[in-house]
Amino acid sequence: MPNSYLLSLITLSPLVAIVILAFVPKNQGGILKQIGILGTLLPLVLSFLLFANFNYGDPHMQFVEKVNWISIPVGNPQMGEVFSFTINYEMGVDGVSMPLIVLTAIIGTLAAVASWQIKKRLKEYFILFHLLLIGMFGVFAAQNLLLFFIFFELTLVPMYFLIGIWGYSDRERAANTFLLYNGVGSAIMLIAFLIIYLTIPGVNGNPTMNFGELAAALSTPNNPMLQHVSPSLLFGLFLALFIAFGIKLPVFPFHTWMLKVHVQAPPSIVMIHSGILLKMGAYGLLRIGIGFFPEQAYQFATWMAVLGLINVLYGAVLAFVQKDLKMVLAYSSISHMGIVLLGFAAMNSIGFQGAIFQVISHGFISALMFFLIGVIWERTETSMISELGGLAKSMPFISGVLLAAAMASLGLPGMSGFISEFLAFLGLFGVKPVMAAVGTLGIILTAVYLLRAVLRTTFGPMPDRYQGAADAQPIEVIPMVVLLGFIILIGIYPAVLSEPLQETLKNIVPIVPGMGG
Amino acid sequence: MDSIMQYAWLIPLFPLFAFIVIVSFGRQLKEGAAYVGILCTGISFVLAAMTFWARFQPGATDVKTTVDWLEMLDKVVRMGFEVNQLNAMMLVIVTFVSLLVQIYSKGYMHGDERFPVFYQYLSLFTFSMLGLVISPNLLQVYIFWELVGVCSFLLVGYYYFKPEAKAAAKKAFIVTRIGDVGLFIGIALLFWGTGSFDYADIFNAIALGRLEPWMITLTAVLIFIGAVGKSGQFPLHTWLPDAMEGPTPVSALIHAATMVAAGVYLVAAAYPLFLASETALNVVAYVGGFTAIFAASIGLTQRDIKRVLAYSTVSQLGYMMLALGAAGAAGYVAGTFHLMTHAFFKALLFLAAGSVIHAVHTQDVFEMGGLWKKMPVTGWVFLIGCLAIAGVPPFSGYWSKEEILGAVYAAHRYDLLWVGIIAAFFTAFYMFRLFFLTFVGQPRGEGHHEVHESPAVMTVPLVLLAVPAVIAGFVNTPYAPVLGEWLLDGSIGALFKETGEHAAAWVQVAAILVSLLGIGLAYLMYAKRSVAPEAIVRPLPWLYQLSYRKYYIDEIYHAVFVRPLGWIGYGLQFFDRFVVDGLVGLTAKIANFIGWLHARLQNGQVQTYGVVVLLGMVLILIGYSLTVQGGVPFAK
Repeated sequence: MPNSYLLSLITLSPLVAIVILAFVPKNQGGILKQIGILGTLLPLVLSFLLFANFNYGDPHMQFVEKVNWISIPVGNPQMGEVFSFTINYEMGVDGVSMPLIVLTAIIGTLAAVASWQIKKRLKEYFILFHLLLIGMFGVFAAQNLLLFFIFFELTLVPMYFLIGIWGYSDRERAANTFLLYNGVGSAIMLIAFLIIYLTIPGVNGNPTMNFGELAAALSTPNNPMLQHVSPSLLFGLFLALFIAFGIKLPVFPFHTWMLKVHVQAPPSIVMIHSGILLKMGAYGLLRIGIGFFPEQAYQFATWMAVLGLINVLYGAVLAFVQKDLKMVLAYSSISHMGIVLLGFAAMNSIGFQGAIFQVISHGFISALMFFLIGVIWERTETSMISELGGLAKSMPFISGVLLAAAMASLGLPGMSGFISEFLAFLGLFGVKPVMAAVGTLGIILTAVYLLRAVLRTTFGPMPDRYQGAADAQPIEVIPMVVLLGFIILIGIYPAVLSEPLQETLKNIVPIVPGMGG
Repeated sequence: MDSIMQYAWLIPLFPLFAFIVIVSFGRQLKEGAAYVGILCTGISFVLAAMTFWARFQPGATDVKTTVDWLEMLDKVVRMGFEVNQLNAMMLVIVTFVSLLVQIYSKGYMHGDERFPVFYQYLSLFTFSMLGLVISPNLLQVYIFWELVGVCSFLLVGYYYFKPEAKAAAKKAFIVTRIGDVGLFIGIALLFWGTGSFDYADIFNAIALGRLEPWMITLTAVLIFIGAVGKSGQFPLHTWLPDAMEGPTPVSALIHAATMVAAGVYLVAAAYPLFLASETALNVVAYVGGFTAIFAASIGLTQRDIKRVLAYSTVSQLGYMMLALGAAGAAGYVAGTFHLMTHAFFKALLFLAAGSVIHAVHTQDVFEMGGLWKKMPVTGWVFLIGCLAIAGVPPFSGYWSKEEILGAVYAAHRYDLLWVGIIAAFFTAFYMFRLFFLTFVGQPRGEGHHEVHESPAVMTVPLVLLAVPAVIAGFVNTPYAPVLGEWLLDGSIGALFKETGEHAAAWVQVAAILVSLLGIGLAYLMYAKRSVAPEAIVRPLPWLYQLSYRKYYIDEIYHAVFVRPLGWIGYGLQFFDRFVVDGLVGLTAKIANFIGWLHARLQNGQVQTYGVVVLLGMVLILIGYSLTVQGGVPFAK
């Protein structure tokens, strides 16, 4: 198979840029930027290859790579008890992770373009940036626990420095808070992974870290290998994973760290953070949390819905009273991630599809939003709502795109946000209509806070000091148009996402008990 | 022979094409954008007229085509189009009014800085409205329902630099969205109840009794809530008068003739659902009836010419709802019939008002006066519009209003009949109050000596709209109910039980009498000035205030919803900062400690971090192996 190493190629392709950057002198700012941006085109092209060669009809993992990686012989050879403790290097994608890799590549390139605003220590910035890319690709491509964990951790270190060095005034505290919360999350995840590895063998009885084998073992009815595993342990494991990924998502009350990141990190990094890193929480929750423990997830579904509702409404109400555009969007992210939880809580195919659509859709929308914040900041040096106003006069294009992004975010049909919101709620209405009805209050509140923020920024009279502010430059227009293009594409032609999902969902959904259509 | 109906999907696409062209080349086109919009809408109008004619032929049947749009594992959502009697009629109304408004706007918006943007929005609106009308399923309706809403928002806020326009646009969007959520919930529940979004499937499921009666009532009321928002019915009417901040052609097209009528259209399109629940029909009837009289009573005292027309629109839409909810087959016909005639005469009134505003640069009727000689065409068409809406025979409004009152009477809903008659009196009074104040007497404002008639590009559309405002009623007279028979021919008609009852003659007489009474009173007060308005107000000044202040509804909403939301927000803000973040304030201390530790460790050496990570992993492994001795942790 010609594409057999494609996933590894994508994951490691940012190394090319890292190596080249390493040889460029620090003071060559222009060249560093060019390499930084061009370097992201390599994974972008490769991920389009992945998209093009993905087989929609195949319900299994595709582009699978499996290499014997770590092998430690264990046991006493004299007693004839030799078996080896093997961990494989395993990669693969299905209809859920493939679009996420493409999303990562697209946002990665556009965030690199947005990095032209970065003024200092460009060399280190771009090296860390590409390191971050490797981590993100790896998370979505990894097919076993160890590899997943390594890549997951690999995103933390560059993020820590990217926030702490290139952020705004209170950047160091934000970086520390980021590391603290995510470190705790990772510790919980690691413990859960180890317990899974040590207590849950594959169907053939050998210990395994492979996602597919573990999920199969856990979903085999009356699996003799699992007789010693109590239901409470399984539930505990699910809960641990829910918390670990919930911190990342983030789920109330673990969300305060991400507010600081959203406000303090540079816009290009927030594009990645809000666009992709948060989604690793959703992805992990689906792939490992719900994927391994569907029954436990099902038992927990009501709580998941409650937490989802809290996220949706709490985030929306708080977004309404924020004074800083960045904070509005930070709380907006919390609110929108609540919809992911609601979709999962529905525990049916429509809800799952809604949650996955929301993950992708919010990735594009929030990346666009934060890109725009950066663009506006360049001109006004503020993101405080009270200091802005009437920008549509001097920056009609930027203001128009901002309004369009807000419309996408509040779920206007014809844009991606509508499809995801609609599906997530529709799924939930099938099983928990009252909770779903409560959640729809969020649809109104989203309109309230987004229009408040956007109209105060772009409508009304314009302060004189912005008289000479220029509208978008070509390098700024490209990311706006590309992101908006994807948002509209998904909104008008959702099949582009739903088609690869169908076969994969069939794999996930039947193992969920009590699944309704 | 019905081949043209197969191509009805092209009707919305021409305005969409215009939108794309103007978006792409707006800067080059400048005011030429108007021609693109007019041409494309013109083609749509011709196609719509041909489609209507094809459907009107005896023996013609409905056409419906759909394609797959979104897979949901075992269900597929399909998109497409449908042509039936109701929407064939709507297609003609929408394209006709839209075409005339676009022609008119070429003159009205002349010289505006953002001229092409205006035509972008107009074209996008026309596309969305046509898409809504042509939809064969509720999901597609919802999609276009939201799109027309956003176009309305954009056009209300067209003068974005004006704070009032900004506030009005926001209000229009949010208040209608409250209704939209009701519609959304209704659609979702219907989907789970019937397994489909399709009108036909849903009606089938109802006919087969697959939905519980309470579910039918609930979903019908929820869908009606959507209609309440869009059609400005009480209690979600507050956005519509404020929406008059938009340019006047927009008010004519969106906030009088088409979009606000979408709520009425939706109830009519989903009528089999409503028919299955008497409760739901009653809700429609009483909300409509209340809105009709309530809004009319506000219209009596307003000073702004566009606001009077806006309250009049709210009131007339209430009339249509009243007809749909109260009175079976006859009410269904009367409601949709009034929807049609109202679209013509109300668009006419708005465009004529726009012509006046264009000339005198004020919207306060007490600053106008004496324009009859200076603006003869505008004066005449405005008079025609007033006669039509007041229900003076033989103008179009007479026939449809008479039909509504007759149907309500025949259904023995005498309480609602009185509501309708009183509202008709109010309507005749405030419309002629407007007419006399504007066109008769002495000029009251300043700078009126320069006033002259609008250019032909504006007056020609006025005249073209005046024609149906006069004659459209003849398509459905009691002597030849052509429209009614045609609308009821087919599946919808079969759902009605024929009562065979007809309105008593006194209802007709009363309808004409109250209209003339209203006109006469307005004449005495504002033209002849033999009755002083103050004399009527004096005994009950608070009643006047109540009407003039719109019953303080805006103030009440502000106090009950808007301000508490802010309080809750600030309360939660405090909670978030000091409780949620504070709880982990403890951990924040630890963070500082780690940060301090980091500073110690931070020598830029990646190795150091590697060591820390490794150390952590080793510690965890050791901890684990200690607990795992002799068994599995946490497990029995």
